Amino acid sequence: MKPRSLLSQSPTTSLKLTTGCETLDECLRGGFPCDSLTEIVAESGCGKTQLCLQLSLCAQLPISNGGLDGSALYLHSEFPFPFRRLHQLSRSFHLSNPSIYADHNDNPCDHVFVQNVHNVDHLFDVMAKIEYFVKNSKTRLPLKLIVLDSVAALFRSEFDNTPSDLRKRASCFFKISGKLKQLANKFGLAVVITNQVTDFVESSDGLSGLRIGNLRCLYSSGRRVVPALGLAWANCVNSRVFISRSGDTICQEGRDDDERSGSSYVSRRARRRLDIVFSPHLPASSCDFVITREGICGVR
Amino acid sequence: METSRLPLSSSIRGKLISAGYTSLSSISSVSSTDLARDVNITDTEAFEILKMANQISGSSSCNGGSSSLVNGAKNAWDMLHEEEALPRITTSCSDLDKILGGGISCRDVTEIGGVPGIGKTQIGIQLSVNVQIPREFGGLGGKAIYIDTEGSFMVERALQIAEACVEDMEEYTGYMHKHFEASQVQMKPRDILENIFYFRVCSYTEQIALVNHLDKFISENKDVKVVIVDSITFHFRQDFDDLAQRTRVLSEMALKFMKLAKKFSLAVTTKYTEGSFQLALALGDSWSHSCTNRVILYWNGDERYAYIDKSPSLPSASASYTVTSRGLRNSSSSSKRVKMM
Repeated sequence: MKPRSLLSQSPTTSLKLTTGCETLDECLRGGFPCDSLTEIVAESGCGKTQLCLQLSLCAQLPISNGGLDGSALYLHSEFPFPFRRLHQLSRSFHLSNPSIYADHNDNPCDHVFVQNVHNVDHLFDVMAKIEYFVKNSKTRLPLKLIVLDSVAALFRSEFDNTPSDLRKRASCFFKISGKLKQLANKFGLAVVITNQVTDFVESSDGLSGLRIGNLRCLYSSGRRVVPALGLAWANCVNSRVFISRSGDTICQEGRDDDERSGSSYVSRRARRRLDIVFSPHLPASSCDFVITREGICGVR
Repeated sequence: METSRLPLSSSIRGKLISAGYTSLSSISSVSSTDLARDVNITDTEAFEILKMANQISGSSSCNGGSSSLVNGAKNAWDMLHEEEALPRITTSCSDLDKILGGGISCRDVTEIGGVPGIGKTQIGIQLSVNVQIPREFGGLGGKAIYIDTEGSFMVERALQIAEACVEDMEEYTGYMHKHFEASQVQMKPRDILENIFYFRVCSYTEQIALVNHLDKFISENKDVKVVIVDSITFHFRQDFDDLAQRTRVLSEMALKFMKLAKKFSLAVTTKYTEGSFQLALALGDSWSHSCTNRVILYWNGDERYAYIDKSPSLPSASASYTVTSRGLRNSSSSSKRVKMM
């Protein structure tokens, strides 16, 4: 067994996948790292899926532009999969990066592989096939990103609240995480997993709950929340990022270029915030963004 | 050698033994006035006894002047001296070093446990850098083995911490230069990274194979002074059909680490992750018996704290620390200078 030389990569940083948005990239010091599991925790409607779709497209960017020069595998457990939104994002992505697709006459959607996952056993089946898929796929771009959206939905219906079921559930977490990390290490993949939140209910003795990470409490839409799946799952991921919305809106003026009349409009979008909850290489920081037609757009 | 063998009058011998001075080394380490007071003899008699004891222990040349009834057994006195002479690895946080008795001790297995995000990996990286601090600066001048089971080790973070360490050493050199010729700092951050032997482990079988291989690896790389396992629990929390087997495998691993620690005089730190809400460490009680020192990291308000939960020699105490861009530091101190021993 030989140790791996830490100086083999140059520059000495791990490869990162850009989010397509400068503000978010700054907060994440380059983006989502490869060979690592990053979890995005957010309430429904905060933008987890939007960010994941955007990442699936950004993975196709060349490495010099912050991408991974690879395709993405999108495992979704919540239905329906937002195909229309993917097409919309893909169109604007294609327009802004024509050079990648010009020689090969394909479009960004060709490199996003979507697979639905019903439950935990199905996920294990799918993961067993991923290795074969990576080695034998005849696609132009190798697989470089796996997105699992969302892990909480897989566990919602099958497990009761009894200690033995919870233990079984916890060992499933470690199995999933172990397998994904093994794939990430073997093929240099970035893995992004989304997770939901549940309401925080104060216990009768007034204990304020277990603190995990940089934020004392997580607030979203004005109420206190806690990431789903508990402490066991928190041990399975390398980094955790929290997206929230607060009700603030941002007004932006724009001109509608399509219309010949050139009318201007004012759009109001909800301000969203991304916080680093814990990460081995990132200090505690946060940034704000909004979601536009073209995707995620940072706000200073 | 026993006091009973010394050529003394039986009354003095009796007094010595009943006062507790049963071996030569215990006599040779006290001053004559103390001996006289303890044993209730005159000063000159005590002085004579000491002279005799030193003569005899000087002429019998077995392991550093100590002798024992059972071959290979050491008496506690010698062990105490040995332990006090042992080097310790600083954590770069003087408050934390204080409760640890100077730093992470070599020859011991130290367990560090806590919730995700509290700083376990940060401590691991800090230690793998600090073990390399040269002897002129009070460090061990050794190398590190980092066994990564979770994929949390980030090279850029290690580089950041290594750069801060070199900067602190250079600052210290500049400070000491006024007083005497301090040696120039030869180390560069890239050298520090080169001296960390990094192993990535993706399954429990790999983990077991690696631990079995460590003995040979360390014999070939004698400079290794610390082995960091981050984290030992990860692969064992998956489905293990036979829980008894899991316990067996883990206790074997613990024993191997302890043997390695004793044989090669190195510190082994293993990271634990929290198991249940009552903040019990994962892997249960059977594992708890295997470890020598245990440190638990926890949040107290907005500050990170470390607590000595189990140690054969250190009192229970807690200290706060922070994780900065330069690594682990004191939380209250605003000065950036690392305290060199």
